[in-house]
Amino acid sequence: MGPLFPTNIIGEELNLLLAFLIGIGFGFLLEAAGFTNTRKLAGVFYGYDFVVLKVFFSAAITAGIGIYLLSYYGYMDIKEIFYPQTYWIPTLVGGFIMAFGFIIGGFCPGTSICAAATGKIDAIVFVGGALIGIFFYAFTYESLWMNLRESGAMGKVNIAEWLGISQGLFLFLLTVVAAIAFYIVTIIQQRVVLKRNFKL
Amino acid sequence: MKKFEIFIVVVLLIGAVWAFTLDDVKRHVNERLTPCQLIDLTLSADKFITTDELAKRIMNNDPSIVLIDLRRKAEFDLYSLPGAINIPIENLLDEQYKTVLDQKTYTNVFFSNSSDLSAKAWMICTRMGYKNNYILQGGLNYWAETILRPTKPKQTAVNADFVKYNFRKAASAYFVGTSVVDENKEVKNTAPVPTKGKKKEAAGGGCD
Amino acid sequence: MDRSKKYMNPYLAGFLIGLFMIAAYFFSGEGLGASGALKTTVVAATDVVAHDYAKEAQFFKRYVSSPDQVPIKTWLIFEVLGVIAGAVLSAAIFGRLGSEIIKPPHISNKTRLIAAASGGLLFGIGSQLGRGCTSGMVMSGMSVLSLSGFIGLIAIFGGGYLIAYFFRKLWI
Repeated sequence: MGPLFPTNIIGEELNLLLAFLIGIGFGFLLEAAGFTNTRKLAGVFYGYDFVVLKVFFSAAITAGIGIYLLSYYGYMDIKEIFYPQTYWIPTLVGGFIMAFGFIIGGFCPGTSICAAATGKIDAIVFVGGALIGIFFYAFTYESLWMNLRESGAMGKVNIAEWLGISQGLFLFLLTVVAAIAFYIVTIIQQRVVLKRNFKL
Repeated sequence: MKKFEIFIVVVLLIGAVWAFTLDDVKRHVNERLTPCQLIDLTLSADKFITTDELAKRIMNNDPSIVLIDLRRKAEFDLYSLPGAINIPIENLLDEQYKTVLDQKTYTNVFFSNSSDLSAKAWMICTRMGYKNNYILQGGLNYWAETILRPTKPKQTAVNADFVKYNFRKAASAYFVGTSVVDENKEVKNTAPVPTKGKKKEAAGGGCD
Repeated sequence: MDRSKKYMNPYLAGFLIGLFMIAAYFFSGEGLGASGALKTTVVAATDVVAHDYAKEAQFFKRYVSSPDQVPIKTWLIFEVLGVIAGAVLSAAIFGRLGSEIIKPPHISNKTRLIAAASGGLLFGIGSQLGRGCTSGMVMSGMSVLSLSGFIGLIAIFGGGYLIAYFFRKLWI
């Protein structure tokens, strides 16, 4: 049956209304978890606050398990949903550029939009910078980026299939690794905060 | 960690164990192609393999080629391609052949006397979501015509035709001379090991 | 404790975000994202100012739909409008609404703003090259077990840890 919009079960207006409602939930939770505070975000790289890692992994694992189960029991056709195609070279290079953006700017686009909305001036500047970055990319696309962006195409690749294991096993391993990571970062965080007497 | 946090992590772990206990086999049923995607695949030209290409790959001892004869057992016993295995089309979906058809390692080449049965078999397999299956263009009749008994091109023909003819003559010598000896060549149709690596992109096109 | 320093439990927030992600996929077949909406804004703005250019240029013409218009009513735009509303709602409840610059005490406002602008610039470029940002590509990609999501995860966070040392003065 699902996904409902691509299979024409719900109409476009309802779909856009749902987009808005789901966005509210997403924005509310990002803000409530503290993602509008750059110092909490950057903490993941310096060991004093791992909120990013905790939220990120619990969200991805919850969604991963949920979507797998829905598709397994036939409630959702995974062929009909947004499935990022793998172009490993531009993703790696782009990801590395984003890593610089994250460390220097202290936000990612989603969190910067939240923070800008709640009045953080640095976030407004970040969003402005991102828009200029996209403009710059757009106008230099043909000369600088086009070939790079299309390189390393692998199509729609499922990581479990790529590794040659079942998706269930992959999800299980991912969850176990995340649970161990949660435990370790909790200890690291306690130590770092104690050592530096860190106050946000 | 606080009790509440441990509770959430345990919930996630239970979900993960649940997912883990399911095998991926049933997933295939839900991931079968939509009619629209099937049309896209059917219209794509790369489901065929030409007789020349097949001959070249057999002569190079390409280990990834699996020849599948779809005719009846009697016909298969009378004559078939060297090393071919027999899956009569009526038995295509038998459980015993699933590991041969639904795999990612080998290149399956369907053939019968013409491309008639192989096109049907290809369609059925594609509908099941099986990949790496190809149709021998023109079937055994065209194979005989082009590879076993190639005709010499006219004197006025372009050079490429002669190159092709010379190749076919060599192939003819190879196959006519060795087809008897080669009958007992072992065919790898044991359960294939899934391999890592690049996959072909699913056919996009008119439907998205 | 100050009310504005109280945050939701990160695991609970993550779990709920995961549920919203499932909802997004189940209802609309879309992943949660942000940079895509920024891109749509840029494309639409360019189209308004220089339509003939947008029709011809490689980057833009993919989005200029027939007959002659850039779609602005996209799923991601509405989702991001929701994100803005949701963030304001939460900030209002927890008392975090208000104009300020959050930074470590030893960093001047000017440094922080320049860093934010440069970071934004880099993120803008990187997200276009990498086909999405931390939420649109990595988190949504990971949810459907797409290989690209995990490559992005390693590139963004692995890269972040590699270079964190050189930018530590900005944060600690």
